[in-house]
Amino acid sequence: MSAPTTATDREADDGPLLDVRGLKTEFRTEGGPIVASNEVSFSLDRGETMGLVGESGAGKSVTARSLMRLIDSPGEITGGQVVFNGEDLLQKTEAEMRDIRGNRIAMIPQDPMSSLNPVMTVGEQITETIRRHQDVSKSEARRLAIESMDDVGIPDAEERIDDYPHEFSGGMRQRVLVAIGFSCEPDLIIADEPTTALDVTTQAKILDLLNEMQEREGTAVLMITHNLGVVAQTCDHVGVMYAGNLVETAELGDLFDRPRHPYTRSLIDSIPEVDTDYDELPTLDGAMPDLGDLPSGCNFAPRCPHATEACRTGGDPSLDAVGDGSSRAACLHADDLDLSESTVPEAGAGRRDIDRTGEPLFEVRNLKKYFNAGEGVFGNVHLSWSGGGLPTVERRHVKAVDDVSFDVYPGETVGLVGESGCGKSTVARTALRLLEPTDGEVYFEGQPLHELGSSEIRSLRREMQMIFQDPQSSLNPRKTVGQIVGRAMEKHGIATGEEKRERVGDLLERVGLSRAAASKYPHEFSGGQQQRVAIAHALAVEPKLIVCDEPVSALDVSVQAQILNLLNEIQDDENISFLFISHNIGVIRHICDRVAVMYLGKIAEFGSIEQVFSPPFHPYTESLLSAVPHANPDRETDRILLEGSVPSPINPPSGCPFQTRCPKKIGDVCEQDLPELEAVDGGDHYISCHLSDEEMSQRESFITPSKRAETSPADSD
Amino acid sequence: MSMYNYVFRRVGFMAVTLFFVTLIAFAVTNILPGDVALLILGPNATDQSLEALQTQLGLNRPLYVQYIDWVVGLLQGNMGESLRFGEPVAQLIAERLPRSMMLAVAATLIAVVLSVPLGVYAAINQNEAPDVSASMFAFVGISMPIFLWGLVFILVFAVWLNLFPTGGYVSPSEDLVGSLTRLVLPAGAMGFALTAYIMRMTRSSMLEVLSEEYINLARAKGMSQRVIVLRHALKNAIIPVITVIAFQFSYAFGGVVVLEEVFFWPGIGRLTLTAIQSRDIPLIQGCILVVALIYMFSNFAADLLYAYFDPRIRYGGDD
Repeated sequence: MSAPTTATDREADDGPLLDVRGLKTEFRTEGGPIVASNEVSFSLDRGETMGLVGESGAGKSVTARSLMRLIDSPGEITGGQVVFNGEDLLQKTEAEMRDIRGNRIAMIPQDPMSSLNPVMTVGEQITETIRRHQDVSKSEARRLAIESMDDVGIPDAEERIDDYPHEFSGGMRQRVLVAIGFSCEPDLIIADEPTTALDVTTQAKILDLLNEMQEREGTAVLMITHNLGVVAQTCDHVGVMYAGNLVETAELGDLFDRPRHPYTRSLIDSIPEVDTDYDELPTLDGAMPDLGDLPSGCNFAPRCPHATEACRTGGDPSLDAVGDGSSRAACLHADDLDLSESTVPEAGAGRRDIDRTGEPLFEVRNLKKYFNAGEGVFGNVHLSWSGGGLPTVERRHVKAVDDVSFDVYPGETVGLVGESGCGKSTVARTALRLLEPTDGEVYFEGQPLHELGSSEIRSLRREMQMIFQDPQSSLNPRKTVGQIVGRAMEKHGIATGEEKRERVGDLLERVGLSRAAASKYPHEFSGGQQQRVAIAHALAVEPKLIVCDEPVSALDVSVQAQILNLLNEIQDDENISFLFISHNIGVIRHICDRVAVMYLGKIAEFGSIEQVFSPPFHPYTESLLSAVPHANPDRETDRILLEGSVPSPINPPSGCPFQTRCPKKIGDVCEQDLPELEAVDGGDHYISCHLSDEEMSQRESFITPSKRAETSPADSD
Repeated sequence: MSMYNYVFRRVGFMAVTLFFVTLIAFAVTNILPGDVALLILGPNATDQSLEALQTQLGLNRPLYVQYIDWVVGLLQGNMGESLRFGEPVAQLIAERLPRSMMLAVAATLIAVVLSVPLGVYAAINQNEAPDVSASMFAFVGISMPIFLWGLVFILVFAVWLNLFPTGGYVSPSEDLVGSLTRLVLPAGAMGFALTAYIMRMTRSSMLEVLSEEYINLARAKGMSQRVIVLRHALKNAIIPVITVIAFQFSYAFGGVVVLEEVFFWPGIGRLTLTAIQSRDIPLIQGCILVVALIYMFSNFAADLLYAYFDPRIRYGGDD
């Protein structure tokens, strides 16, 4: 390819690749203009990676889209310069910008599921970019597209180029997006949360791929993310955004060792580390101010533990150099504050003890749920012609849940963790009889749920509540919060009239809302508050078990911790049991007593948090745990990257379901025999694997309660 | 391979549906008040002659025997004989169906050609003057019943402007130009009335697609507005519109009943009307069956088109 010559030509230019000066983007609204990106200035050198972090709504994406001039009405770039390769992009015509987009500056979007056009083959979507910007023939573009698919690690690129996006897994689709981004060898890639929508093992692979592509092509990357773990792993320097302003920029090491802005400190502290115990998860209290109604002083002052009178009245501080390092911060007290120490208190009490001597509250035995493959009455009927003759009819099933057993004791939280498609949500729905089980037994307080009729089930529903991922779609938008919560009480004859109103008020206070919230409608609340309403609704009928299906996945990181703390607190007070479903092993770590790791409809490992997070490990658990990004740039992580993707449950592998991807596969035994879920170290820790205990114990525990104490004294580097 | 499965499944469903249609068609015509024999022989007929005719027509046999007899006949391609015309029902329908088909196809074509570009144009100029005027144009179309548009079109284009004949039908094989000039007004009137639904659907479908992430990415790849609208958006947006078009086509077939009266168009609509007026039971049953078949096949065609436009359906759709 002709890349090397052009690249050197461009490198001959002086100055940084990208120099953003005072960029200002506003949105016109009925209540006046809102400044989503306020006088943002930073620069980026060739080949460098810069992270842009902050909570949602901080203005990260708007800033990034402004660089490409992709701001839609009613938004408008109202000031500043975006100097790219020595030219101000804001002075270019739209036609000139189109020649730059996808060519010199490319974007890798967030969601691989919705960012590819479903009716175009991936080949068409890659080649159209190439042909738009390079003067090559159709066949040459196709060759280049196959090459770029090869480069991003899509197997059998030549055969797969004519496939449609839906025929690829999420991780593979993200690779296609990376291929599109790099297809014209751009100088700058803007990656907008490129791994947020992915499972943790896939996320690690995509980050590695991005690093590798960047090194190979010498591309600069602007990485937009809310995940400081991702930043710590990939970036050279970092910009922190808050309420439309860039409040701190620093080199990666400086930012983590010695943050200069209190917001940066809070952000770092709000990330729970997988290997640390907390009495209460660290939270970032309060919320970002409404961009249409900013405080008169520093925007962060209302949430800042160090705020003084000067901060509240003195206007918005400007971004100035601090100390002798690389840091710049927009804080009046940046020079005086020492923010190098974490403010999170160390764990004291340790984990609570659960009494598991009596009857379990909830017990699932050999549960199976098979779905018909395909939709409709004849959906699973499959005609196949094999070697001529008459077609044969077969019925195919998706074994979503295949022989799963576990129990939950009073006051206990049991987690179900696994990547998307492992069947964890189906387990919950089937166990509660929201879906009819194919086979197996479910007991609630000794009553066989699987044998009960629908009316008996309905009266038991009072004892078993559910909280869903998306509160917005699970709360009736036409009812007030008071009606939603009160209705549940009336339905189960718990309280009516004045007593009901009183109890609704108490409950709302219990979940951290005001009594006045009862008269509001769900849309008037933020996502976190809506989830609080959903929790109040579940608590209204005084259940003994609450099934939480990814209850915090749709929430901002800072809000996640608040909701998790609330759930923990409620459990301590009311002795409720939780069945907690999550793909996020970090969340599971901090809220569950015991956890079942699921893979392809089966349980791979089951035990207490200490057991599962310590050796011996099931190889799948080990790779899951190793892939969690740490918000600490000094930490070396020895990550295990899994080959390939989760096999289709219609046609699962023979033997052990994990054998196709297992890094520790022994050989034939794994392909032929399904390993039993057997107790290891003689107790209540179960692993389904043919390996010996020693072979599963080669890695250290992921739990080291005193970790923080060891690492925090100013790491010299 | 899944495509065969899909077609196989759909044909199975259609057979079941058709069975129910025959049941309903048979039931409805037999519940209708009025004795066929009486209708044929007139009010002065004697009881004996009535009974003789009923025996001859097989009307005094049990209903289920009559039904089975009728269905067996249908399976052999025999739809019975029209009481009023004394000709085989199949022949009567075969003669008129192509004329109605011509009208409905032309009307749907006119509607699609008008409404899809209008819908796209309205969507990319959302809430601006072109959007509002396109919507208003379309709403005028559905604001009045089809036959009224027929009359307006006759008044304006035939009587005042004298551009087209007021009505009648000429076979295209005899006189192509004459046939087409007579087609313009009825097809135009009906097409105009159908435009609104398809245009509204195209517009809202386009708006939805234009806010998708992949449209954003296409812009970030440097694609021009034309490529984004035509290549990326329209092919996605058209998918739900296809159902509406198929539905409108079947609706056009219902609509022809009145419109054919207005334009003296001797199609299946007028045949149905005549059949009902004269209690011509075999003919009514035949007309119901044929219209139901057309309805089913147009929807089937829409589903196949769906599969053509949406690769996710082509492979069985589990994702």
